[in-house]
Amino acid sequence: MRRWLVGSGEFVIAIGAIVAVIIVVLTGLALLGHPPLTVLTTWFQGAAGSGTRFALSLQEAGPLLLTGLAAAVAFRGGVWNIGAEGQFLIGAVTMVAFGTVLLIPGPGWFSLPVALVLSTITGAAWALLATGLERWRGVPVVLSTILLNFIAIAVVGMLVQGPLHDPTTTAPQTALLPEHVRLPVLVDGTKLHLGVLVAALIAIALWLGLKRTTIGFEVQVVGLNPDAARLLGMPVGARQVLVMAVSGGLAGFAGAAQVAGVTGMLSGSPISYGYAGIAVAMLGRLHPLGILVAALFLGMLSTGASGLERRLAIPHDLGDVVQGLLVLAVLVAGGISARRALRPQAEGT
Amino acid sequence: MNDALIVVIAAQAVTAAVPLVLAGIGETLAQRAGVLNVGIEGLLLTGCVAGFTGAALSGCAWSGLAAAIVVGALLAALFAWVTVVMRCDQIVAGMAINLLAVGGSGTAWLVAQGHGYAELSANAGFSRGIVPGLSDTAQAWLRDLPFIGPLVFDQYGLALATALIAATAWWVLTRTRIGVIIHALGDAPDACAANGIAVRRWRVGLVIFAGALAGAAGAYLSIMRTHGFSPLMTGGMGFVVLALVIFGRWHIGGLVAACLGFGVIDALQSHLQSRGLNAVIPYQVFQALPFIVALIALAVMRRGTSGPRLLGQAWPTER
Repeated sequence: MRRWLVGSGEFVIAIGAIVAVIIVVLTGLALLGHPPLTVLTTWFQGAAGSGTRFALSLQEAGPLLLTGLAAAVAFRGGVWNIGAEGQFLIGAVTMVAFGTVLLIPGPGWFSLPVALVLSTITGAAWALLATGLERWRGVPVVLSTILLNFIAIAVVGMLVQGPLHDPTTTAPQTALLPEHVRLPVLVDGTKLHLGVLVAALIAIALWLGLKRTTIGFEVQVVGLNPDAARLLGMPVGARQVLVMAVSGGLAGFAGAAQVAGVTGMLSGSPISYGYAGIAVAMLGRLHPLGILVAALFLGMLSTGASGLERRLAIPHDLGDVVQGLLVLAVLVAGGISARRALRPQAEGT
Repeated sequence: MNDALIVVIAAQAVTAAVPLVLAGIGETLAQRAGVLNVGIEGLLLTGCVAGFTGAALSGCAWSGLAAAIVVGALLAALFAWVTVVMRCDQIVAGMAINLLAVGGSGTAWLVAQGHGYAELSANAGFSRGIVPGLSDTAQAWLRDLPFIGPLVFDQYGLALATALIAATAWWVLTRTRIGVIIHALGDAPDACAANGIAVRRWRVGLVIFAGALAGAAGAYLSIMRTHGFSPLMTGGMGFVVLALVIFGRWHIGGLVAACLGFGVIDALQSHLQSRGLNAVIPYQVFQALPFIVALIALAVMRRGTSGPRLLGQAWPTER
C-alpha cells in the first residue's frame, strides 16, 4: 500500500509541475496577445493532430528518451554526467564514419548493428574520459563533462568538414548513409524508425535492471550514499565507472540511431537532445518508465512548438523556456512533497 | 612603443579577461558560501540579451547596462529561491537556468528583431575610454601613456570598475569579518547558524550579487566588445568561468591571475589566426581551445584542501 502511495506521489509531482508551467506559459502568451485556447489547440494539432504528426512526436521522443535515460542512470548512480550532448555527437559521428568511410563489410543485418554498437562504445568512451580525469586528477565530473561537450562539438565539426565531408557539396555536411545501414522505418510515410522501439525496450530493461538486479541495487545505494555503500562492501568505484559507461553509451546510441534512423547524415547545425535529456530525466522523476512518458510529452512539446511557430509565429525557442521551467517546477514540487512526507515522522520523534 | 606586439597582446588579454573576472568574482563568492551555480552560463547570456535590448530600446548604453544587471540579479534570485530556500539540487537547477536563458534570450532576440531593434544606434553602445565624462584630449593623452595606456586606459569603462570590484572583493574576503562569515557559510554553516548568522539569507544575497555581476559581464560582451547580439553568443564562456574559479582555488587573486592567463592565450590565438595560421590549422581547433585549456588547467593543478567544504549542499541538510 505504502509503495503504491509513493508511486502516485511521484506522479502527482510531475503532473503538478506540468500544470503549473502550462498555466505560466499560457498566461505569458495571453499577455502577448495569443488566446490560451487557440494556443492549446494549435499546439495539440501540431503534436498529435494527425497520424503523421503523432509519428513525428514519437520520432522526436526517441532521442529524448535515450538521453533522458542517460541522465537518469547517471544521476541515480550519483555521477553528474552533464555530457550527454557531447556523447550524443560522438556516437552520431561514429555512425557516419562507419556508414560512409570506414565501411564494415557484410550485409546490412550485420554492419548496421556493428556500427550501432561501435557508436555506443565511442559514446561511452567519451564519457569515461571524464571519469578518468576525476580518478587520476580530481577534476569534478560535472565540469569536465560540460567542457567535453564543447570539445566534442569542435571535433565533430572538424570531422564533418574534413575526412567525413561529402565531396559532392560545399555545404558543411557528410555524405548520406547508404540504405543498408539505415534503421528500418516502422510506419510507411513517416520517419518513425526501429530505433524508437529499441529505445522503449531499453527503458523497460533499465527499469528491470535497476529494480531487480544486485548491480542495479548497488548502483542506487552508491548514488544515495557512497560512504554507506563502501561500508557495506560494495565496489563503489567500479559501479561509478559502470554508470558512466552506460550513461555515455545510451547517449552515443541515441546519436547513432538519430543518424541511422532520421537524418542520414551530420551537418553543422546544432543539436540539443543532450541538454533536453536532463529535463526529460527530471520530469520522469529519474524512473525509467516515468521517463518513457516524459520523453513522449517533451517530444510532443517540441513538434507542437514547431506548429505554433508556423501558424502563430510564436518562436520555437519558447520550447527551451518551457523545458527550463519544467525542471525548476519538478524540483520545487519534489522538495515540497518530500518535506510533507517527513513531517509526521518529525513530530513522532 | 605601444605598437609593440607584446603590448598589443597584453592589452587584448585584459579586454578578454574583464568579463571572466567580473563573472568569476560573483561565482567565487557564491561558491565560498557553499552555492555552486552552474547556471552562470545562462546568467551571462541573459546579461548579453538584456543589455542589448535595453540599450537598443532606450538608445542609451547605461540603461542597457542597468537592465543587464537587474535581469541577471532577478534570474539569480529565481535560482536562489529554488536552491537555497526550497533546498533543491543546485546542479540540476543550474542547468535549468541555462535552458531557460537559451530559450529566453532566443525569444527576446527574435521579438527585438521583429520590432526592428536588431542593431544598436550610434550612442547605445559603449566606446573605449575608461573614465566617463573626461574630455577627448585627456582621454587621448591617457591612452598614449607608454604601456599602461593600452593596458589600462584604452579599455572599456567596465574594466576599471572590474578592477575596483576585484580589489574590494579580495579585501572583504581576506581582511574583514564579512569575509570570515562568507568562508564559514561554505565550510561550517551549522557553526554560522549557532552564531546567529542567517545562513540562507546570506546565501541568497550572495547568489543575487553574483547574478548581478554576471549580468554586467554579459552586457560587456554585447554592448561593449561587440556592439551586437547573436543567439548563444556566450558559447560556453560561463563554463570556462567555473573552471577558472576552481583553478584560482576560490581566491580572488588566483581567479584574476587565471583569467589574465586565459586572456593571454585568447589574444595569442586570435593573433595567430589573423597571421594566417587558420589556413594550416582547422578553425575548430581554435574553437575548442578555451575548453581544452580549461580542462588541462584543472587536470594539472595541484590538489589542495582550499575549496569550500560543503560546496553544493543545501542547508540545513535535514528536511
